[in-house]
Amino acid sequence: MSFVEVVSCGIASVQDLGRRGYRALGVPVSGAMDRLAAAYANALVGNDPREAVIEVIGSGIELMFFSSAIVAVTGAKCVVELDGAEVREWQPIRARAGSRLRVSPPMHGFVTYIAVSGGIDVEPVLGSRATYARAGFGGFEGRYLRSGDRLPLKPIDIDSTWRRVSGMIAPDYVRLARAPLGVVELRVTKGVNSDLFEDIDSMLRATYTVSPQSDRMGYRLEGPKLESATKLGRLPSLPVDRGYVQVPPSGLPIVLMSDSQTTGGYAVALHVLPPDVDKLAQCPPGTQVRFVEVDYEEAEKAVRRYLEDLEKPELVSVEEESEYAYYVS
Amino acid sequence: MVIYERPKVRRSGGYVIHVELCNEISLDCNKLVHALYYKVLETVKEGSVRGIEEVVPAYSSLSIFYDPRQASWRRIAELIESLWSEARATDVSKILKPRRFRIPVVYGGEYGPDLPSVAEHAKLDPDEVVRIHTSRTYVCYMLGFTPGFVYLGDVDERIATPRLPSPRTRVAPGSVGIAGRQTGIYGVESPGGWRLIGRTPLKTFDPRRDPPTPIRPGDLVEFYRIEPEEFEKLRGVYLGEVIQ
Repeated sequence: MSFVEVVSCGIASVQDLGRRGYRALGVPVSGAMDRLAAAYANALVGNDPREAVIEVIGSGIELMFFSSAIVAVTGAKCVVELDGAEVREWQPIRARAGSRLRVSPPMHGFVTYIAVSGGIDVEPVLGSRATYARAGFGGFEGRYLRSGDRLPLKPIDIDSTWRRVSGMIAPDYVRLARAPLGVVELRVTKGVNSDLFEDIDSMLRATYTVSPQSDRMGYRLEGPKLESATKLGRLPSLPVDRGYVQVPPSGLPIVLMSDSQTTGGYAVALHVLPPDVDKLAQCPPGTQVRFVEVDYEEAEKAVRRYLEDLEKPELVSVEEESEYAYYVS
Repeated sequence: MVIYERPKVRRSGGYVIHVELCNEISLDCNKLVHALYYKVLETVKEGSVRGIEEVVPAYSSLSIFYDPRQASWRRIAELIESLWSEARATDVSKILKPRRFRIPVVYGGEYGPDLPSVAEHAKLDPDEVVRIHTSRTYVCYMLGFTPGFVYLGDVDERIATPRLPSPRTRVAPGSVGIAGRQTGIYGVESPGGWRLIGRTPLKTFDPRRDPPTPIRPGDLVEFYRIEPEEFEKLRGVYLGEVIQ
């Protein structure tokens, strides 16, 4: 069996596009924080977009290959080296048996994905290979990765796959959206309890800062407090999802992320659109964000486009793509 | 009447329809949520509506997650309205076919470290608290928050106790707790603020099985007292294997 070994890593886990169909039993969806970057990593190595990849949050990783493989690194902007030579992100790379891949902590953005041809072949749990570390299941032994872990790979015909993906790259708009600059705008609709907040419009005027107390479950935001939230308290728990903006009595919003619990008792003020949750995932603590409201039709349109991209990530050939766009960040 | 005249249907995020039937925790309202939930699932199974990906029920509301490429929110909203009217007009116990689970629990001691504080709050003897806790059939209002956490109600008012002032960082799976008029079972190890009165040796949640828990929203649960010696004998046995 072929595998890849974790030589060293920061906060890394095996993720895919999530675990569906069990939320009524309390099982969270989990999966990649930046779903589109994970789907593109897979596409670049010839995998189905739903295959399992390695996710690294706000830190770096070094991997060693025990057989030849095609690899792609996507997501945050990092320095990537294969056997000491710098290689580019968002493009397929060919590793040999014994190759070492080193990915630096992000210089821009926050979450990095590494896909390997075939996909990480851990046992699916409830239909998904995503790690849900809080309950200790999914992914590799239900936990974050450590040095010495050997991740099994699905067997694949490398040469024919290489002929298909070599010279391809992810399009500009996908790469650039993952290197946020300035105040990041997140498109939202009103959330399911928005009518409980009489001063909700103030949330749309505010600028928030991503708090260091953020993780795979939720990103806390610091900024002006929402006055009406202090009087609300708890509601009967209601179903919640990735992208829901809860406002607890502290008045400071929490945006639920991929490890979102299935239900919650805090009122939900806004809902960040799925592609913009990807964008938020790439915002390290300290990043300034603001909410921009769109209507439901525009939200549906954005979701349709996003689901198409996730299912069929479109690659372009390197020659067609501008070099400028890549280096602008 | 706590149940709204018409369900409140809200759109969210371009792929969610949230349906609220009331805004408090009430058994009647929760039954209606379950009736609607199972009716929607049935309709999805029949294939008469496309694009509904997941339906998640909670205390007083449910959410429908849909694919806007396949489904029209208006069509789903209309479906909800008509299923709601049907559910409202029928005896919901005919729609719900609840199963009954009997769950063994060791009360007190290391298994239920908060039994003394619950007894103190109730001004009752701990054995009396256990007797009251085991003398009712509870309804599963919902599962949620953490995998397989079962929310049950209603607890006898005499033993209803508020949550701990600050939550524990680790609660063992199988722990049985009280929070207000709710009692519940932890499916996996997690932080938790419920008053722990006991623990079942049975595994109520196992992600290696599909479904991972046999308890569904609307099912019925009873507890019975066992001694610590029996705990070891039953430890790790899957709930679905001993009770059907």
